[in-house]
Amino acid sequence: MMSCKQVSTLMSTGGLADAPLRQRLAVRLHLMMCDKCSTFKRWLELMGVAARAESHAHEDEAPADLEARTLRRLERSQL
Amino acid sequence: MWSVGTPLLPTTVRSAAELPLYDMGVTDPLARLRRREPATLHEIVHQNTRRLFRAAQGMGFSSAEADDLVQDVFVTFLETLDRFEGRSQVSTWLFGILHHKVQERRRSRARDDLHDPVDELFESKFDAKGKWIAPLPSPDRVASSAQAAGAIADCLQGLPPLHREVFHLREVEELSAADVSNIIGRTVTHVGVLFHRARLRLRECLDGKGWSPPR
Ligand SMILES: [Zn+2]
Repeated sequence: MMSCKQVSTLMSTGGLADAPLRQRLAVRLHLMMCDKCSTFKRWLELMGVAARAESHAHEDEAPADLEARTLRRLERSQL
Repeated sequence: MWSVGTPLLPTTVRSAAELPLYDMGVTDPLARLRRREPATLHEIVHQNTRRLFRAAQGMGFSSAEADDLVQDVFVTFLETLDRFEGRSQVSTWLFGILHHKVQERRRSRARDDLHDPVDELFESKFDAKGKWIAPLPSPDRVASSAQAAGAIADCLQGLPPLHREVFHLREVEELSAADVSNIIGRTVTHVGVLFHRARLRLRECLDGKGWSPPR
């Protein structure tokens, strides 16, 4: 039986995806029964959502001519 | 020298005849890249510019600095192309170059101590059996508000640089731990530790900025 600490650590290190099936099932079972770990999982998910939203809000900030300038610089660097 | 729109063979290759597959459209992308075919380079610049710019900003650089960094990354990419063995994706290779540039700019290598005070904070939340001592406040109520967006930007700013980079690459670029391990030159386990610490720091910070309902 995995403890809350083991489950939470496995989730926050991002190691769950690569964990053996048995371990992943144990975590899923634990989460079904444990509100506290579920809340921690919710935190992790929402932080990801917020960081992606924050980053994509700046998506259009890359100057439109950056690609063209980069290509010109590459040309020069090959002279 | 090559110029945009003019296919050019590297000087070591005297004629297209030495590259039998050259005009048949069946050469693998790596070979085309090695020959520095403008169309291929064009495509790579096009596919990665915005992403690299976003990553540089995500690591805390200003627009002007990010602009410089992106150009430098591609220049280095071209210079070191012969060392690229095609074992990783081009984008992973580019992120690796960005990582080195960022380290250079920061001069001081980011410390990645084996010990981090945030570990004790995490420990202190569990009893001897590894059970949560007290429940965490629920983040749901305010996490989608505009206030939350401001808070995440502030809290990301406060992370140690390497934590911030790992968090960005894993969460925003959604790269695998193995890719991030290649990019920053640390083991997959170490990437996990850095990701864990980044998230704990962020959570504490957001908690303090009203991400959870008043208690
Ligand atoms: Zn639990």
